[in-house]
Amino acid sequence: MKRSVPFEIFRYAAILAAMAVTLVPILWMVSMAFKPIGEWSATGADLTWWPKQPTLANFEFVFGHSTNDLIVALDHTAVKPILSSLLSAVFGTAIAMSAGTAAAYGLSRFGSGQNLPLALIQLRLFPPMAVMIPVMIMWAFLNLNDTWWGLALIYGIVTLPFAFWLMKTFFDDMPREIEEAALVEGCSRLRVFTRITLPMMRAPLASAALFVFILNWSDYLIALLLTTREWVTIPVYMASLSSSMTGQLYGAKAALGLIAAVPPVIMGIAIQRHLVRGLTFGALKQ
Amino acid sequence: MSTAGATPAPRDEGAKLGFRLTLPAQILVLFISAFPLLMQLYISVTDWSPLSGVGWWNAWEMWNSFANYTDLAADTRFWSALQRTAIVMLVCVPAEFLLGLALAMLFADDFLGKRVFYSILLMPMMVVPAVAGYMFFMLFQSGGPVNDILARIVGAPVTIAWLSDPTLALIAVMIADIWQWTPLMFLILLAGLVGVPEDQMKAATLLGANAWQRFTTIVLPKMKTIIIIALAIRVIENFKIFDTLYIMTGGGPGVATETISVYIYKVTTQDLIWGYVAAIALAILIVLSIVAVYAMKRMAKAREVPA
Repeated sequence: MKRSVPFEIFRYAAILAAMAVTLVPILWMVSMAFKPIGEWSATGADLTWWPKQPTLANFEFVFGHSTNDLIVALDHTAVKPILSSLLSAVFGTAIAMSAGTAAAYGLSRFGSGQNLPLALIQLRLFPPMAVMIPVMIMWAFLNLNDTWWGLALIYGIVTLPFAFWLMKTFFDDMPREIEEAALVEGCSRLRVFTRITLPMMRAPLASAALFVFILNWSDYLIALLLTTREWVTIPVYMASLSSSMTGQLYGAKAALGLIAAVPPVIMGIAIQRHLVRGLTFGALKQ
Repeated sequence: MSTAGATPAPRDEGAKLGFRLTLPAQILVLFISAFPLLMQLYISVTDWSPLSGVGWWNAWEMWNSFANYTDLAADTRFWSALQRTAIVMLVCVPAEFLLGLALAMLFADDFLGKRVFYSILLMPMMVVPAVAGYMFFMLFQSGGPVNDILARIVGAPVTIAWLSDPTLALIAVMIADIWQWTPLMFLILLAGLVGVPEDQMKAATLLGANAWQRFTTIVLPKMKTIIIIALAIRVIENFKIFDTLYIMTGGGPGVATETISVYIYKVTTQDLIWGYVAAIALAILIVLSIVAVYAMKRMAKAREVPA
């Protein structure tokens, strides 16, 4: 439909306003990450929207090579939390994707596991906080507390609903002629799944895996409850970077926040096409 | 099945493979639901805490005959946390919905720069919630940028202590939630809006319907299911609100921003009365399970609608 000129002006004005609101919090953190300590909490007329003397000192500080004019040195650097976030999110994604993809195929093609769709949505519905007591007891019993593999296991279970539902809708949409032809050729059903279906589904699998990875990477609450020191993740580590002695380490926290925020934003833009499907459990396919 | 003969029918092979493929997921679901649920039920009728010196399996020694549940009914901090969670939900979800819908309407047809604007507007929902919480923690400092912007508007120094005032702190955490999740509403509603048939809109225009009439008589009915799904998702997720809020205020000042998740977290980690926590959690789980069954039926219905 042809729109009038006043409407176009209104549209751009409204969108630019929305863009400003969207970007100000992000830009403030990016700017803070490159501010020297003197500009961290400058107020009033001294408040700087962009660092006057941009510096990498905050990044050097969290990685441990400098104390950034602060009296404190960190008792451990950001290296291990980053490793912990990576390992737990990657292996959690691997667990969710393998169990979820296999189950989705089993349900989509052979009608097995009819209870799974509802059970998994219920799993997603519950606030993690309401099931964490037994999980904390079990994890302590299994010696999984404060380990990245313990986190990976719970992440794999928590994001299983998304992996399952995404893959189920992808399998449901996939034409079956090729699979049927391979069956007639004498392939076993398992072989059809592993040698024909899965390679054909490479792109959807990658999108679903990225989607699940973002969710795992974004966790804060579960890591807060299940890790204490050795394997804390980036958000937990970031939140701990303040003390009564030194106050808020604004710049250092912003630097860590930036490190945590960049991967999911890039991945999210890469899989934009599938976001709606993933977020609505496949109820809506864009 | 040995009675099936030497060569099993293909259907049989499929059923077997299907069972094996769904087995890992079934085990994981069982591992995280059945046993923990029983454990939670068991602990919830005791005074057990990790500091009580007995293993959780011996919690029966501390049996307190459902006192946790009667305590819960009289726990004013619990009920006010629940009330606060409801207030946050009743403000945030409609605000996110209306803003998301308005944005979606602006993006319904093509214009210059649409894809770039679209990608940027989606960014907040991809930011790690804990990091978003930290962003807004910085923004709402009394010497921070929000007050700086306000000062430029009114032309005088503004030093509002956002996060130390009970009401303003609640408003601040709601603003953070709206900032982060309006893009999700926008994304889903836009997907639904694109599905509204163009020719019906044109016909209505030719018949003299104005924009508002087209919206209420064609767009809204077509989007009904999608709107319900979008609202359901946000209601569910908003009920769990923790990360952003906890980083911004820690539930404070006092208990001014203490939502249900923050309350349970504090009882779990500070008061350590896990028997009581188990009772709260179970009560919440039962209510939510009923909601889940209803939501599931809705979603199943929605899937029949070609999108």
